Amino acid sequence: MLFGGPKPLTAAQQFLNLRASPISSGHGALRAGRLTWRYVATPSPLSREYGMRIEFAQGGVPEACVDAPDLQSLAGDRTIPHLYCRKPFKLCLYLPRTYEWQPQMRLDQTVVPWSVLWLFYFEEWLLSDDWKGGGMHPGNDKIGRGEAA
Amino acid sequence: MVLTGRVSPAPEGLWNRRAKPMNFIDHARQAREVEVVGLLEAVCQSLEPTSSQTSLAKQRYEGVGTWLAKSDDPVLRSITVYLQGSTAIGTVVRPIGFNEFDVDLVAHVPDLDVQLSPAAQKKALGDRLRANGNYVSLLEEMARCWRLNYAGEFHMDITPSIPNPKCRFGGELVPDKALKRWNPSNPKGYRRMFEERAKLVPVIRIRKHIAADSLGANVEPYPQAIAFKGILRRIVQIAKRHRDTLFIDRMDVAPLSVIITTLASRSYEWCVRNREYDNELELVLDVIQHMPDSIDTCEVDGVLQWFIWNETTAGENFAEKWNQRPERAERFYTWHARFCANIAALPTIRGIDRLGEKLTDLFGQKPASEAIGKIVDRVSDARTTGNLRVAPKVGLTVTAAAAAAGSTPVRSNTFFGS
Repeated sequence: MLFGGPKPLTAAQQFLNLRASPISSGHGALRAGRLTWRYVATPSPLSREYGMRIEFAQGGVPEACVDAPDLQSLAGDRTIPHLYCRKPFKLCLYLPRTYEWQPQMRLDQTVVPWSVLWLFYFEEWLLSDDWKGGGMHPGNDKIGRGEAA
Repeated sequence: MVLTGRVSPAPEGLWNRRAKPMNFIDHARQAREVEVVGLLEAVCQSLEPTSSQTSLAKQRYEGVGTWLAKSDDPVLRSITVYLQGSTAIGTVVRPIGFNEFDVDLVAHVPDLDVQLSPAAQKKALGDRLRANGNYVSLLEEMARCWRLNYAGEFHMDITPSIPNPKCRFGGELVPDKALKRWNPSNPKGYRRMFEERAKLVPVIRIRKHIAADSLGANVEPYPQAIAFKGILRRIVQIAKRHRDTLFIDRMDVAPLSVIITTLASRSYEWCVRNREYDNELELVLDVIQHMPDSIDTCEVDGVLQWFIWNETTAGENFAEKWNQRPERAERFYTWHARFCANIAALPTIRGIDRLGEKLTDLFGQKPASEAIGKIVDRVSDARTTGNLRVAPKVGLTVTAAAAAAGSTPVRSNTFFGS
């Protein structure tokens, strides 16, 4: 954080913004600087509805998870790209330690739309086996198609 | 047109949603149906000849026409060559597994004083084509026409014809398969009729809704609407391709293109003249559902006979073969039931992956992946230019209208991780 820059948002502020945004309308809990938010997202009119969950603790980084449906059963025996872990399915949405996400940014304006984008490319990947959303893998500095940063 | 009187009133079926109160709009359903229209449009674009293939075909058939007309043979002196069939009316679909399109031509001798048998006229045509070094190696004799095989491009079927003085619609006579008789036909009249029907503009209420909604407070944005380029032509193309994939191993018994085209164009006219629709997909479903309504049947000596009369000439029954082989009628109805069910099911499928798989089943791998590819390109392009937004219930959207309607822009990001 640069000295004199915008202040990080508190978990309570993030919680209120998530609750107010029409694209993350759902329910959650806020306790001791830590929030959980659950909502339903769909990446396109032709897509499934996904049960989403955001976990965020003040001072930490947000986690975006897909709770339902079971992504692995959709993917079969293939390895789903751009996941931090598979139990739960935690999405890799931005480059860590860069400015794509910073603590003063609203989750409903970053992680929520990025999750929708992830789901969109995931459904297409299920069909084509080719991740068309671009991105980076650890230890690989190549940025693929779709990268606009 | 005789048609309207013949068609039975439509039952209140699955597709008739007029009973719904006008102020209720299921945006998610509407959005899905609009997206399916976009996919079907993309499928059709992938099935069509490219504009360069079309202009090459035009160049080739004009060449054939000029060559035939320069003949010294008195039979061919006044000949005119023109397009008929799907190329003429814009409903061509690429055949499965081949690159070549059919280009159907009529070689018409308007001189009523020339009284030749079908066989003699066909022979005169063949002799003249053979006399050209360019054509002789491409030429193949078919039952009632000559075929020029342009490998990798198209095959051009040239059918002889003469005027039909008995036809009050200015029809023509073409050889039967045995080359024994002249049969009534009217390629020009048929084309005119199809084009008239294709010009009819349906009432699609979605446009009104959008206009009304933009004034209201509770607006859910729409995805970018991709309309059909000529709905009737697209319906015919979708139907023909669906037939081609269903009958891939037995094309010889598949429902004829002229039957599909005729029934679809009649049904389209009836639907457009009598109904209003919430979106183009509803119209498509209604048109295809009502395709069989204009098939006439009657019992002759206790046997059911089918009639799909060519309305542009007397005496041409497109369903003639059904009466010799009733299993052809059965196959038509089986195909039609599958077609209706398959298209109606498209907007109920959830998941771009599952929809893509379904489109592959119905229309083939290339058209399906090109259609899904267009959706991906739309999103990826908007992402690059910073115009991508997320809207409630419909997900990613690129419409400008969405900006004012509770949507959130998608900031630039980089997917990370293995």
